[in-house]
Amino acid sequence: MAYHPRATPNFRNLVVRPMWITLRAGLRTIPYIGPRFFSSGYHGKIAEMFDDETKSRTGGKESSQIYAADRETSHFVKSISRPVTVMYPYERLEDLEPWLFVPNNYNGRIGVVWETCTACKACVRACPNDCLHMESEVRVNVLDMPDASEENVGLSSVEFVEGGYLARKNDDFEEIENSFSLETAHESAPQQYDFAEIIDLSGNTASVRWSDSGKTESVDLEGMIPAEQDIVSGRIDLGRCMFCGLCMESCPFNSFFMTNEYDGMSGLTRDDLWMDASRTRVLPVVHKEAVDRELAKRADKERSKRERAAKKASKEA
Amino acid sequence: MFLQLWEVSILVSGRRIGENMAAEDWFDVRGAIAWVTEQTMDKTIGMTRFWEQKYWLSEFSAEFAMAGIIFVITMLAVLGPVWMERKLIARLMDHRGSTIAIRSLWTGEGNIRVEWWKDLPFGIGVPIGLVNGFLWNNFGNDSSNPKVAQVGNRSYAGWWWALPGMINNFADFTKFAIKEHMPPRDADQVTYEVAPFIIVTTTLLVFAFIPYGPSLYAANPDLSLVYMMAIFGIAPLGVFFAGWSSNNKYTLIGGMRSAAQLTAYEIPLLITVLSIAVLCGTLNIIEIAEFQMSGSQGSVWNIFLMPLGAALFLITMIAEVERTPFDMPEAEAELVEGWWTEYGGMRWGLLFASEYLRSLAACLLFSLFFLGGWEFPFEDALIAAPFVGGIFAFIFQIIPHSLWLLIKAWIVFAFFIWVRASLHRVRTDQILEFGWRYLLPLSVIQLGLSIWLRLGVYDGGPWPVVIPTLITVVAILLFVVLVLDEDKDALAEQRRPYHVSEINKASPGARINRED
Repeated sequence: MAYHPRATPNFRNLVVRPMWITLRAGLRTIPYIGPRFFSSGYHGKIAEMFDDETKSRTGGKESSQIYAADRETSHFVKSISRPVTVMYPYERLEDLEPWLFVPNNYNGRIGVVWETCTACKACVRACPNDCLHMESEVRVNVLDMPDASEENVGLSSVEFVEGGYLARKNDDFEEIENSFSLETAHESAPQQYDFAEIIDLSGNTASVRWSDSGKTESVDLEGMIPAEQDIVSGRIDLGRCMFCGLCMESCPFNSFFMTNEYDGMSGLTRDDLWMDASRTRVLPVVHKEAVDRELAKRADKERSKRERAAKKASKEA
Repeated sequence: MFLQLWEVSILVSGRRIGENMAAEDWFDVRGAIAWVTEQTMDKTIGMTRFWEQKYWLSEFSAEFAMAGIIFVITMLAVLGPVWMERKLIARLMDHRGSTIAIRSLWTGEGNIRVEWWKDLPFGIGVPIGLVNGFLWNNFGNDSSNPKVAQVGNRSYAGWWWALPGMINNFADFTKFAIKEHMPPRDADQVTYEVAPFIIVTTTLLVFAFIPYGPSLYAANPDLSLVYMMAIFGIAPLGVFFAGWSSNNKYTLIGGMRSAAQLTAYEIPLLITVLSIAVLCGTLNIIEIAEFQMSGSQGSVWNIFLMPLGAALFLITMIAEVERTPFDMPEAEAELVEGWWTEYGGMRWGLLFASEYLRSLAACLLFSLFFLGGWEFPFEDALIAAPFVGGIFAFIFQIIPHSLWLLIKAWIVFAFFIWVRASLHRVRTDQILEFGWRYLLPLSVIQLGLSIWLRLGVYDGGPWPVVIPTLITVVAILLFVVLVLDEDKDALAEQRRPYHVSEINKASPGARINRED
């Protein structure tokens, strides 16, 4: 079991580090010495509260503020300062004081690797608050995904059929895969594939209707990936969720996660709290390990199945 | 003996330097009291035909006065920890803490100045207004920052940043004394009323055997260590009484936890204390302290001889006085206030005071057992230093050694506060496991080490320099090894944003199909 290095339950993390952190905080309040030698780097800095758009809208109103101005403590000794206010979401505590990380096992926003979800609905059954809902969606089978390891490609049972679906990698697939990080981009994950319905299949070409644009087009099957309609995606009513994590525990495919993200979960209406697939999507990129493990498992299963079938066939022959 | 108080000349001459300096003191309170009572009885009862009674009467009144003096000193000394708890923990936890400061008398809520004196007739409010104006302008909570001035600078500290918080103790006392006594209807009334008295009286009795100085103690039997530990161990019974008799689920759980925890930690504590007694060859607290002082038998502080014992004593004592991280019995987050939930008013105040008194006792005992009692660090070395040695000798003679003991105890309490601010509460089963499976064997090992040190190494004179140096270096090395213990594999994965660790399914048989 791999822990976050700061969360490993050893003497260093349970005793020494906490005591050093509090000692630092205490020493920081000493005049002159504290701010100079025990500063966390953001003391007395000016924080920009508005982004450029907001600033232009408000007509250049004063938008910056010194950290925690209401905590100025002394007329005589100005250096007794003690910033405590972190101006979230403009500033994040983890960025300012990296030792105050969000623990790995914190049950935060729900994240699903929809690519490895098999729609077994174990999570829906496990949810005590009935906040999980499943619907269908067109998706690429994981074992056909180009980022799967080579020996596993082509081991899915999905094929190109008339009335079925196919998918095409997005132009910026590589970019999304390599650069997108939910850590820094607090927004829904972008689509990695374009999906289309196969209207007619003839040899190596097919006429398809793209789901996004609705345009009909004749495409070469080379470079296309078969997609499935019967795989479903889910919606989560976050307003009912109590973050117990039972859904995560019940998932037999390691597709369901409670991420340790604590933001992106608010809304102005109840409807905003309905998290659809895009808001819960966790890209396989950021979940390589789990996805790889799951893929290997499924590929092994498929491979042994085929081996058994081949053996049986040879025996019969 | 009493004359020593007045013969100041002895401070600069006539006293041999370095010869058991800390054990003796001009601040001979016991001798002075004994002299006063003796003289008084001589001049009063000694003149009458009941003169035979004067011996026990003077002795009795001297002891009585001594007990009163120790009580007063203790009550004043415990103000230190309470104040430190307020101010220090606030700083360690990155805030200043809410306190009743003296300036709250003239700075209003939200920087609003209610000029009530203007309503007084005949202009008698004018001087009040002048005084208020002076205080408001010079020691108010105004700020040069207009945004701050809108609401008032509540964190204003000014010149007397140290003073706010001191007055809080008296405000608290007033509040406790005024409050009504409200026992729960279904409580076991007699036990409910008796429990706080058991706790408070036994806590105060502990201080009878704790010396503040070579001649500043209430009682000094030969086996004072045994007496003291026995009385120290009675309070948990009162805690259990309180938890049981309050007839409340929180107090009951708190009392049970307290019973389990204090039993588990009493045993390693007693074994550690036994190892101290073995090392110092005595069961008398004063002799234990004097054993470590320069010019006496050992002349090395015990912390350098048994660092493991010091750590054990500190940990078990923190558990015994129920402070964080071992404050399961009064876990506020889950048990309201633990076993003292149902107590209010002065009874709660007394329990609160006794908690701090027990903490102070723990700190004093740590200082006496491990930090050389009332000796200043490296006292004899400082006195023997060239050129400045004479100055140090003068300082050590003129300042009562009791002060060093108190300062040491307060420093140890500062460590308690530091621990409280840093560490989180430990789960009950982990507390018990830690106590039984780690502290108990370690204390037995420490006992064995002490026996070996006393019988195999100690030769009656001062310890050879090699022994404490070696032990301290080994202890520091062990500590460093513990600190450097880090999960290198986890470090490699630290950029991973989400936890993807395998989850052990709660359902039976879920582990069977688990891979890797």
